[in-house]
Amino acid sequence: MEQILVNGAILSANYALIALGITLIFGIMNVLNFAHGQMFMIGGLIVYTVCVVFKLPYAVGLLSAAVAVGLIGMLLERTLFQRVMRISSREENTMLLAVGTALLLENIALYVFGEKQRGIPPMVSGVYRLGSAFLPANRLLVFAISLALIAAVLLFVNFTRQGRAMRALAQDRTATMLMGVDVNRISMLGFGLGAALAGIAGGLLISVSGVNAGIGTAISTKAFIMIMIGGAGVIGGALLGAVALGFAEAIGYALFPGSVTYLLIFTALILFLLIRPQGIMGKPWG
Amino acid sequence: MSFLKVEGLTKRFGGLVAVNGVSFAVNQGEILSVIGPNGAGKSTLFKLIGSFMTPSAGRVLLDGAVISGLSPHKVARTGVVRTFQETTVFKEMTALQNVVVAHQLGHSAGPVGAFFASPAARADDRRSQENAEEILTYLGLGHVRNELARNLPHGYLRTLGIAIAMAASPRILLLDEPFAGMNPEETDRAVDMVEGIRRRGITVLLVEHDMRAVMRISDRIVVISFGSKIAEGTPAEIRDNPTVIEAYLGQDDETIGH
Amino acid sequence: MATSTEAAGTIGATSPGSRKALIAILPLAILLYAVVPFILRGQPYWLNVMTNAAILSFGSLGVWVTFAIGRVNIAQGAFALLGGYTTAILSTVFGLSFWLCLPLSGVVAALVGTLIGWPLLRLRGIYFAMVTLSLTEAMRLLFLNTVTLHDGGGVLNIPRPAGIDTPLDFYLFAATLLLVGYLAVWRLAGSRIGWVFRSMRQNEELAMSIGINVARYRVFAFAFCSAMGGMAGASFASLQQNIYPATYTVTDSINFMLYCFLGGLDFVLGPIVGTFGLIIAFELLRSIQEYQALLYGALMILVMLFLPNGVLSLPSILGRFWRSGR
Repeated sequence: MEQILVNGAILSANYALIALGITLIFGIMNVLNFAHGQMFMIGGLIVYTVCVVFKLPYAVGLLSAAVAVGLIGMLLERTLFQRVMRISSREENTMLLAVGTALLLENIALYVFGEKQRGIPPMVSGVYRLGSAFLPANRLLVFAISLALIAAVLLFVNFTRQGRAMRALAQDRTATMLMGVDVNRISMLGFGLGAALAGIAGGLLISVSGVNAGIGTAISTKAFIMIMIGGAGVIGGALLGAVALGFAEAIGYALFPGSVTYLLIFTALILFLLIRPQGIMGKPWG
Repeated sequence: MSFLKVEGLTKRFGGLVAVNGVSFAVNQGEILSVIGPNGAGKSTLFKLIGSFMTPSAGRVLLDGAVISGLSPHKVARTGVVRTFQETTVFKEMTALQNVVVAHQLGHSAGPVGAFFASPAARADDRRSQENAEEILTYLGLGHVRNELARNLPHGYLRTLGIAIAMAASPRILLLDEPFAGMNPEETDRAVDMVEGIRRRGITVLLVEHDMRAVMRISDRIVVISFGSKIAEGTPAEIRDNPTVIEAYLGQDDETIGH
Repeated sequence: MATSTEAAGTIGATSPGSRKALIAILPLAILLYAVVPFILRGQPYWLNVMTNAAILSFGSLGVWVTFAIGRVNIAQGAFALLGGYTTAILSTVFGLSFWLCLPLSGVVAALVGTLIGWPLLRLRGIYFAMVTLSLTEAMRLLFLNTVTLHDGGGVLNIPRPAGIDTPLDFYLFAATLLLVGYLAVWRLAGSRIGWVFRSMRQNEELAMSIGINVARYRVFAFAFCSAMGGMAGASFASLQQNIYPATYTVTDSINFMLYCFLGGLDFVLGPIVGTFGLIIAFELLRSIQEYQALLYGALMILVMLFLPNGVLSLPSILGRFWRSGR
């Protein structure tokens, strides 16, 4: 029982980073980042490269992942999304572009890293006991870092000028423009931040369970599930969705064999959406 | 003879009562206006009558049959058709196509017939085409009928919205603030247009804020304030009604129309 | 050859047997029945590629119909899987002929589409997209955990259709399926129903206010789409002679959507052009083996950047360019 709680908490914290990232991007730009899973994956593989290939400390690896993936996000936003959003007549076009970026990133990663599953050795060794539960020190570290980052993001979004600008942009684009905010720059920063969060999440997870170049779609799907549960574009919803999915996984994997867990999760999700299609905290526009 | 009856219509949003037990009747062939100061609940009342919102209490009857609570498309099928406040048209179609599409309710052939272009379906399409051309010409839009709706000037879009509603074979047309934001010249034309609609045998219920136009065109007027009906009568009766004047106190003289 | 459906003049006043239908379908028919077999008659590999493309186009045409009512549908893979398994089980376990399984797969897919679609089609935009994406995954997991004929949930030894033996035979079947599908969707788009769809896509509230039962039409469009997906899946199952839970993944669902987009959503021909275009491009890039997938992704992005309304919008863009230059 305690093991389930421990696992659930750790998963939730890690998933929260993913959910926050995609929520930021969606909130600011109204774009569903289909490439979110690929960014997660690239973050993990960068940590692998820095820590295992170049043998640098983990902190350097994480930082590199954050910066690199953040830059990728900003680049994509500036060169691709801004242009397509300007010239398209249909809103589906940006969705399709996002799909295209996902394909591109995944294939670049496959080309550079190959298909092998990569992992890194744990940064700290040892196992703690929490009641009847086992808590590897490594996972505790990942958990702590995740929580710290979540707190940092919340502080950033609520108390810094750029963060507040992002929130304003999410609420009302026109009004924010009229207030003199450089919307293009904030959008780019927001996308970069969201991407960086995905990258860090991947960098954290690779120390726990390993990452390969093909997991992008699976991670993106989890991100979608979380915002479907919690509501798109709402930070509180992202956190709720992460907790829901984290614990659902922990409970599911403890009780059922492998693939049944997600079958149940999907069934429950669809039933939930029939009653509340916009998610727990989502706006009822659908 | 009452045609559309509103009985004790009420709508609550949490603790706020937007519409409070409003009752009145619309006679066939008349033009009845619902007016009231800003925030009086006219918009909500309008949506309730067109069944785009379900009432917390009360009901709406057409020819004795209850229409409140029916889904919006069913209400349209009974002959109660509404217009929208913003310029709501099908932007990627021409003006003519907009009105032809709206002629759904006049079709005798079902979807299968339409798919296989049965003789009945083809006759339907011909009739819709003629009907649409006639309505557009009647409303003065004949010359722009092959223009894409999104290229039309704002004023034309309003009229197109009414053309669309008229093509849906309405027995009673619910007009949502048809005179909003118009200068005197435009208002004159709009007044003529509403009169023209009535001459075609369509009853008109309109919700409006501009008192002057309302005074000119209405057979009867219902006044709403803070969600409740405070007066009902002919324009002459309403103009001198002290309760009405008091409700509008604090608004511009212009609005009161003296 | 491009059949523009928006702003295209009179509504509904054509019939399938009339000249317009013939003009619409003739070029495609000639290409499919005459040109392709002539060029590829000695090359079974390429005939298979074209067969694939034709069947996938059929599935994409279905997704086009859901685009027509304003929904981004990433569930076509789920229905292809459903149709494939229906045919697989009916033909291996119950010995039914493929020619019976094909329509049955369509019906089963349509029924499931109706059931699921009725509540879910209230959602729009990314919500609907995400739910349909989940459906694809859910369907895979469902078959993985419930089909126990073989380890891993697959079905093997699915018989070929009676009378279809050579790659050319199968190609002609696929081409015919595609042609029939194209005609059906073309007719749907040009009929009154197609205009109802258009009105719903552009403004659902307005459509309701003029008496259109939006909910019912939505479900009809989705069921129509699902049926086409089911039949595409059934055809593949019979062609490959096997089916697995992973035969259709999220990537495949996304591809169906992609093909419509890249061809151009304004044209019924769009999904066909998009599918054939991408698949042929992919095959041609096969020689550059290593960079194939990379270039594929880059190609998609380039089209998005420079041809956001799809490849079929090129003629009108060039036309404008030409005119403005004089």
